[in-house]
Amino acid sequence: MSVLVESSGVLPLVDVEIAFAAGSLQDPAGREGLALLTGHLMRRGPAGLSQQRFEDRLASLGARVSVQVSMRSTRIRATVLRRNFEPLLGLLSDLVWRPALRASDFAKLKRQAQAALISRLDDDQTLAALCFREALFGEHPYARAQGGTVNSLARISLQQVESFYARNIEKGAFLVGVAGDVIDSEARALVSSHFPSTKRQKGKDSAVPATRTRPGRHVIIVDKPERTQTQLYIGTLGARTRDRKLFPLIVSNTAFGGTFSGPLMQEVRAVRGWSYSAYSRLLHAKQREAWYMSTAPAAEYSADCAALQLDLLEHWIDRGIKKSQLSFAQRWLINSHCFDRDTPSKRLESRLDVELLGIPRNYVEKHDELVAGVSLQEANEATRARISTRDLTIVVVATANQVASAFEQLPGVKSLEIVPFDRG
Amino acid sequence: MATPQVLIERLNRGVQKRNARWALLRDVAFGDALRLRRFRLGNGLTVLTLVDRSAPTVSYHSWFRVGSRHERPGKTGLAHLFEHLMFNATRNHPTGDFDRLMEGAGAEANAATWTDWTYYYENAPRDALPLLIELEADRMANLVLRVPQVSSEKEVVANERKQRVDDDVEGKALELLYENAFVRHPYRWPTIGSMDDIRGFTVKDCREFYRTHYAPSNATIIIAGDFSELKALSLVQKHYGGLSGARRIEERRVFKEPPQRAERVFQLPAPTPTEKILLGYRAPSFLDRDTPALVLANEVLFGGQSSRLHRLFCLDEELALSVRGSISPFVDPGLFEMWILLREGKKKAVALALLDRELARLGSEGPTPIELEKAMSQLELSFLHSMETAGGKAEQIGFYETVVNDGAAVFERLEAYRDVSTRDVKRAVAKYLRPSRRTRIEILRRAS
Repeated sequence: MSVLVESSGVLPLVDVEIAFAAGSLQDPAGREGLALLTGHLMRRGPAGLSQQRFEDRLASLGARVSVQVSMRSTRIRATVLRRNFEPLLGLLSDLVWRPALRASDFAKLKRQAQAALISRLDDDQTLAALCFREALFGEHPYARAQGGTVNSLARISLQQVESFYARNIEKGAFLVGVAGDVIDSEARALVSSHFPSTKRQKGKDSAVPATRTRPGRHVIIVDKPERTQTQLYIGTLGARTRDRKLFPLIVSNTAFGGTFSGPLMQEVRAVRGWSYSAYSRLLHAKQREAWYMSTAPAAEYSADCAALQLDLLEHWIDRGIKKSQLSFAQRWLINSHCFDRDTPSKRLESRLDVELLGIPRNYVEKHDELVAGVSLQEANEATRARISTRDLTIVVVATANQVASAFEQLPGVKSLEIVPFDRG
Repeated sequence: MATPQVLIERLNRGVQKRNARWALLRDVAFGDALRLRRFRLGNGLTVLTLVDRSAPTVSYHSWFRVGSRHERPGKTGLAHLFEHLMFNATRNHPTGDFDRLMEGAGAEANAATWTDWTYYYENAPRDALPLLIELEADRMANLVLRVPQVSSEKEVVANERKQRVDDDVEGKALELLYENAFVRHPYRWPTIGSMDDIRGFTVKDCREFYRTHYAPSNATIIIAGDFSELKALSLVQKHYGGLSGARRIEERRVFKEPPQRAERVFQLPAPTPTEKILLGYRAPSFLDRDTPALVLANEVLFGGQSSRLHRLFCLDEELALSVRGSISPFVDPGLFEMWILLREGKKKAVALALLDRELARLGSEGPTPIELEKAMSQLELSFLHSMETAGGKAEQIGFYETVVNDGAAVFERLEAYRDVSTRDVKRAVAKYLRPSRRTRIEILRRAS
């Protein structure tokens, strides 16, 4: 039985999470969005209960249920008033073991998911983030958007959803987590009675090929009319989860662009006022994930801002961070770590990440020691070893004719491509 | 925990300066374990404390009774610009020190401004509380306002405006809605300010604004989380007790908005893939006795996937991708906003007719008892979620203290909702959600 419990009697609330080790990486090529559609179709309710009655039941219990799909997991998350914890578990158990997966719901869900993709074109920041991943990872599965595309969704059939469910969920390869106002023994007993055959099973660790960098600096302009402002992403490959340079890189990146006091934010925002936000972010996964800087400068100085960021990046790689920056970043990471565990649901989440995503347990349990143990030399070596200044993907959502020529002149640019924002 | 009277006695022992002497105003229970206490320093600074040791964190909020309603035409956006300026140099700390010290201590510091208020907050590890108190007291009295800081922040705010309004279709529509739904009230201008006004601010404008609105007597401090009340109040006394409460605070001006007798309709062409409708019905103040009934109505209409309009628009008729509603939580009467995000190719007129039909039905028949029960359960859930962290508790208490003049009222809100009957909802919907009371913005698709 794989049940994780985080008890806290502060508020009469309980969170329940049912987590499967199957996500968008399991989507077949050309049918991106399958994991998401499966999760959301399950969310429409169990067999024997119409969607309407299911929603009414949830609302009456004071419960909310959502489904999140990531590359490697699908999570059904529920929250409920304490007094209705047990009835909610009953509903969730029906949802997992006997989902209705109705054809009529499926057709509607597909149309809704497609409409959501179209509506997303309104959001420039999301557009930039998605285009950046596509451009950085190319054909690699990490480039896939969890929601798929309008065309890939159209190709998915109900049979494929049923088979995804049968392969990844029906056999009980999931974890159940409970957090909040319930004591450990009660939570375990209730979960056991509703999920009797839940076994500790490792999700199939699908082989993911190594990610590769595209040599050179490449600019992609996502052309959208009437933009007074641009969304700018500059990045390259970063680190793997099990990279021994991960913590040195986390500390170094925090010193560079992870806080308001770092040089990226100071130079872009505090000194020049060029962007409301300016941060760099380091992701990690089984294979090398992305490292990127994101800013939102006005169109008239977007290319200047990109040039400044490239300078700052080179400076960071070539000269490294200083001792004072290292200790500042370490203090920030260690002192603010309490906010990763200040609620029972956050504590549960990090335990589920360990179980489900293969994050080493000591990353959570010895976080502060790992951060404190990074030396200046390790931080700077890790930065030089992992972050390239040569191979960069630069994505900007902008009105192309306002910015194209200036971006073409950025140092080292090998190619510039303009793509319409609504290309599908 | 010491009784508040004992606490006050100890804190005031030997303190001669009137500004630095404490008074206890209120002590109320929140559940079995928590208590909210309200104190006031002699200089007018109100402090609310809520000790909660469930996590080793503390949240420190400074709420000021100043927002965009206190500006004037030609100077819109000053309250919001000021929020940015407050992170700059003081007489005791050079530019950048505030963020460096906060981040070094592991604190997250930020702020927000709206129509009736501005607040600053830090969520920090518990040991950082003395630093938070010192730095917040310092910037309440010692802010340095010079050309370089003001110029740089004006540029940042101009960029923020581009991001949130000029290039954001919903932001632009909201600005158009409030500008036209109100004729006289300052709620008609955007909190972020017009671009011309942002560009035009001077150091003198900023200094005057600071002198007028930033003073202990116009502020409330909320401390929530894992801390010693005695030590915290003693530090507040030390750092704020020397500040004068004598600055002139503007009396709240009364703006009488003329009644709306006919629908106002505007069109906004935009480079958007789908059309949208934004409606603003003239609604009562957050403090009005009709507001709880409208909140319940909002839940029945828009609250989650079992709500009437979600079911109708998004599932049954497949007209919209989403629908949502909210009531502006303002001191003076505001708007009941409704959004309909249409799907590609769907007609606005059909959606609007359907909405009018449903509002008329709710106004004549009211909600069913089951709908009221669902709405109440969902509101209870939302309330508890908002109180999960120390930061969440401080924010709720700060909002109620500033808008309702009673931080403890947050704990009574659920009771006010429970008292709402089917008849109350019916009456409130019939009274407020009529087409003649609304302003409509139609967002049209302009081909690229």
